[in-house]
Amino acid sequence: MASSAPNSADRVTFRTQVLARHLHDPARTPPTPLEPSPCLNYSPPELSEKSDFDIREMRRLMDGHHVADRDWLFGLMTQSNLFCPRERGGRVFLSPDYNQSMEQQREMTMRRIEYLLERGVFQGWLTAKGPEAELRKLAFQEVMGIFDHALAIKLGVHFFLWGGAIQFFGTKHHHEKWLRDTENYVVKGCFAMTELGHGSNVRGIETVATYDSSTGEFVINTPCESAQKYWIGGAANHATHTIVFSQLNIHGNNQGVHAFIAQIRDANGNVCPNIRVADCGHKIGLNGVDNGRIWFDNVRIPRENLLNSVADVSPDGQYLSAIKNPDQRFAAFMAPLTSGRVTIAASAIYTSKVSLAIALRYSLSRRAFAITPNGPEVLLLDYPSHQRRLLPLLAKTYAMSFAGNYLKMIYVRRTPESNKTLHVVSSAFKATLTWHNMHTLQECREACGGQGFKTENRVGPLKGEYDVQSTFEGDNNVLMQQVSKALLAEYIAAKKKNRPFRGLGLEHMNKSCPVIPSRLTSSTLRSIQFQTDIFCLRERDLLSRFAAEVSQHQAQGQNKEYAFILSYQLAEDLGKAFSERAIFQTFVDAEATLSSGSLKNVLGLLRSMYALISLEEDASFLRYGYLSPDNAAAVRKEVATLCSELRPHALALVSSFGIPDAFLAPIAYNWIEANSWSSVQH
Amino acid sequence: MEPINSRNGDADQVLVEGNSHVRKVLLNRPKQLNALSFQMISSLLELFLACEEDCNVKLIVLKGKGRAFSAGGDVAAVVHDIRKGNWKLGATFFQKEFILNYLMATYSKPQVSILNGIVMGGGAGASIHGRFRVATENSVFAMPETALGLFPDVGASYFLSRLPGFFGEYVGLTGSRLDGAEMLACGLATHFVPSVKLSLLEETLCKINSRDPAIVAANIDKFSELPTLKEKSAYHRLDIINKCFSRRTIEEIIIALERESVSTDNWISSIIKSLKTASPTSLKISLRSIREGRLQGVGQCLIREYRMVCNVMRGKLSKDFSEGCRAILLDKDKNPKWEPSKLELVSDDMVDRYFLKVDDEGWEDLKLPTRSNLPVHAISKL
Repeated sequence: MASSAPNSADRVTFRTQVLARHLHDPARTPPTPLEPSPCLNYSPPELSEKSDFDIREMRRLMDGHHVADRDWLFGLMTQSNLFCPRERGGRVFLSPDYNQSMEQQREMTMRRIEYLLERGVFQGWLTAKGPEAELRKLAFQEVMGIFDHALAIKLGVHFFLWGGAIQFFGTKHHHEKWLRDTENYVVKGCFAMTELGHGSNVRGIETVATYDSSTGEFVINTPCESAQKYWIGGAANHATHTIVFSQLNIHGNNQGVHAFIAQIRDANGNVCPNIRVADCGHKIGLNGVDNGRIWFDNVRIPRENLLNSVADVSPDGQYLSAIKNPDQRFAAFMAPLTSGRVTIAASAIYTSKVSLAIALRYSLSRRAFAITPNGPEVLLLDYPSHQRRLLPLLAKTYAMSFAGNYLKMIYVRRTPESNKTLHVVSSAFKATLTWHNMHTLQECREACGGQGFKTENRVGPLKGEYDVQSTFEGDNNVLMQQVSKALLAEYIAAKKKNRPFRGLGLEHMNKSCPVIPSRLTSSTLRSIQFQTDIFCLRERDLLSRFAAEVSQHQAQGQNKEYAFILSYQLAEDLGKAFSERAIFQTFVDAEATLSSGSLKNVLGLLRSMYALISLEEDASFLRYGYLSPDNAAAVRKEVATLCSELRPHALALVSSFGIPDAFLAPIAYNWIEANSWSSVQH
Repeated sequence: MEPINSRNGDADQVLVEGNSHVRKVLLNRPKQLNALSFQMISSLLELFLACEEDCNVKLIVLKGKGRAFSAGGDVAAVVHDIRKGNWKLGATFFQKEFILNYLMATYSKPQVSILNGIVMGGGAGASIHGRFRVATENSVFAMPETALGLFPDVGASYFLSRLPGFFGEYVGLTGSRLDGAEMLACGLATHFVPSVKLSLLEETLCKINSRDPAIVAANIDKFSELPTLKEKSAYHRLDIINKCFSRRTIEEIIIALERESVSTDNWISSIIKSLKTASPTSLKISLRSIREGRLQGVGQCLIREYRMVCNVMRGKLSKDFSEGCRAILLDKDKNPKWEPSKLELVSDDMVDRYFLKVDDEGWEDLKLPTRSNLPVHAISKL
């Protein structure tokens, strides 16, 4: 044995060398020492990422208003255990406990509201007037949505829908009776419009209110199962009062849809006589809101409970309205509901911000695969493909953030004359921004790999929580059809009366058709002029094509409504063209307020990215020839270049969203420590 | 004890002794209640940097000579510079002080500060960011800046905002004093050790040859006691503090306090009085700073506070700092003439400007040293 040992050792050495040569060319690669590679260390992206613009200034521009007030509210939440603070990796994170049952989540939402109420958050939400008070309320609504959509929606129903209905549909005595009590949660309101059989088509609802002049009361009735009120937020557990939308029947005449106040529970939470309430059950998200169903069994309410700003009924049963046309009367009823679309659009964008901040921060600390043998693994965001997945969404989120700010401004400064603009813009932006949000959430969840599947990392659950945005307060597809319809009406009016286009940003239609250069260089592609031109070209062309197709269908004998329905493909393209052009314009306007410098430079990159990714993604540009195939290829190449130019700013751009660390997620920070064994033992 | 650096004239302001693994550092300027001079801050910074490099050193013990741990930064010297038209000298002072605060807040080895006396302003900055803060029955803590026309700096927007509820707003805005028991209760102190046991504690600490915080904590635990809060302690009134100091603005905080004081409560009236005598500008920027600090890391807090303190010293927005120092520290008439004189005259826009970069040639944001590969426990201490 002793003598054979050197031999066998030699043989082992020899075999090892042979095997090693198979694996490495010894002439070129130095032998690697056989020691374990050091463990991965978390390195905060702040250490390596440098960008030159002022994050504080960018945040002011993005948030647009009430920055300090937002921070106050974020701080109120972090200081209370009601917001479920959890320690991970040396940091505290806040998010609702989705592991709680539906009933527990609903109770938590209500307790959080009570805490914020005590701290004075809702002060002036219904009793203060003017754009300043309204903007602060919107800022707070956005901040609460960043913590939990259910919290924001529960408040939205109480203040914006119930409270808003009293403000806008009611008159002085309603305001005096209800607004202060609503602000202080003496009453809890809900808003019963949708029925099982009728959602977007409000005019078709079947609930009936009949006036009984002998007692001076309205009798509200649910005549059939499809007339049960459905999805009524707050109805299942907490609400004491509701706005009821119903057909108003006076002496056998139907005067159309009107809004009434009815009590559904007493102060102790017992359901009132002749009211039946049922739960809508578990949902794919938003279980912190108690959506319910309501049946009215000839419920009697006093005549004063008709919200009578648009129309009234005299004690002897005379129907009185300043607006004779029932279409216009209905429109007057619906106009105040814009607030819902405004807050939904804004909160969709803040949710995209949360998910992008998490996914991009993770991509700046997570590595995968080395590109050289034994080389360091590559940071996710250093892969051009990863940049291409996330950075265009980042640019869109910036663009839509400006769009959201614009929408809020026209909302708080609304006048009777601006109602049409507000209706069209809020419809277009609500649909576009919420679709963008769902798309962004899915991409971010995938970009975080398996970690994106964990509830504590937030992105995943947000998909369920925010999914409802695409159908509530106006189904996105229906809203977009309304946009195209409104544009068509403008077009027909302008052509018929031979007058210039005014409003909705359509003034470009009055000018001559823009000409796109046959060869697009990088600098042309990045110019505001080109970007404006191509968006306008698409919109004007699609609008005239749409008008032509509708009139062609009409010429073939179809009625106007059906002609419109048949032209759905162009309607869809046109709605998109309008939204993207309008969003782009808000970006250009925001950029124009800045003096030149690093901030403006990076916004220029984002604006170009927004414009070019829109060109790349919409087949209309090729289909209708606004871009030649060569130019489409140039656009695609420029998108990749822009990705690499935005890459160094990624961290600063998500930091500028102003979302506090505690409202992001463990994978956005030290995810190794957050998952360490010591944290398990804690 | 050895002077840390014998080249300087008044170098014995910081003395160091100890053994190969424990550094005992003594703030030695007792007549000035150990107010931190530029020289002291420089010495401490050098010392902390050197000890981090020296792998033999496991632990730093910091204490003050006399009846104070440290009564603050040497504001009088800064105001002297400002009055001579040289606010940028003051900026250098704060720059160095804030970098020291940052180093302590992210230090990889435990720092034990023995707070057997006055701990105010800059003294708090030199201790609270460290891992262990030992209070005694002699401890007196306060952040009195709003009465001086300044704001709680040295990273106070980080540590005050992390106290329970809205206690940090209360402490930072009113300048109220806390005793050792209150410091322990609210988390400013990690331990309470009666002063008679301090020499034994120090002896024990010197025997530790480990940088494991758990081992250090276990050793301090041997001497620590659970003090009882005085009956009149503000900490018993945390519900009122939360209710009032959680309000959105200073004006609303005062209204909420006045609503509480219907039963002529002395404690509440004294709070209202201190809010009404403090600089209105200071109150508003302090509140904003604490609220922002609650959401930020300690580095971001110091960078913001550096912007703020430079704007304060520069005096273009308001001269309250000079005026406050004149009335409290120099002339001692205790009758500062604040400008603007009333809360309602300080607009949100005016407050905003304190948080912007200083528009002055050559001025730069505070550059913090890169601190990589830190253990998690080095970052979160509160």
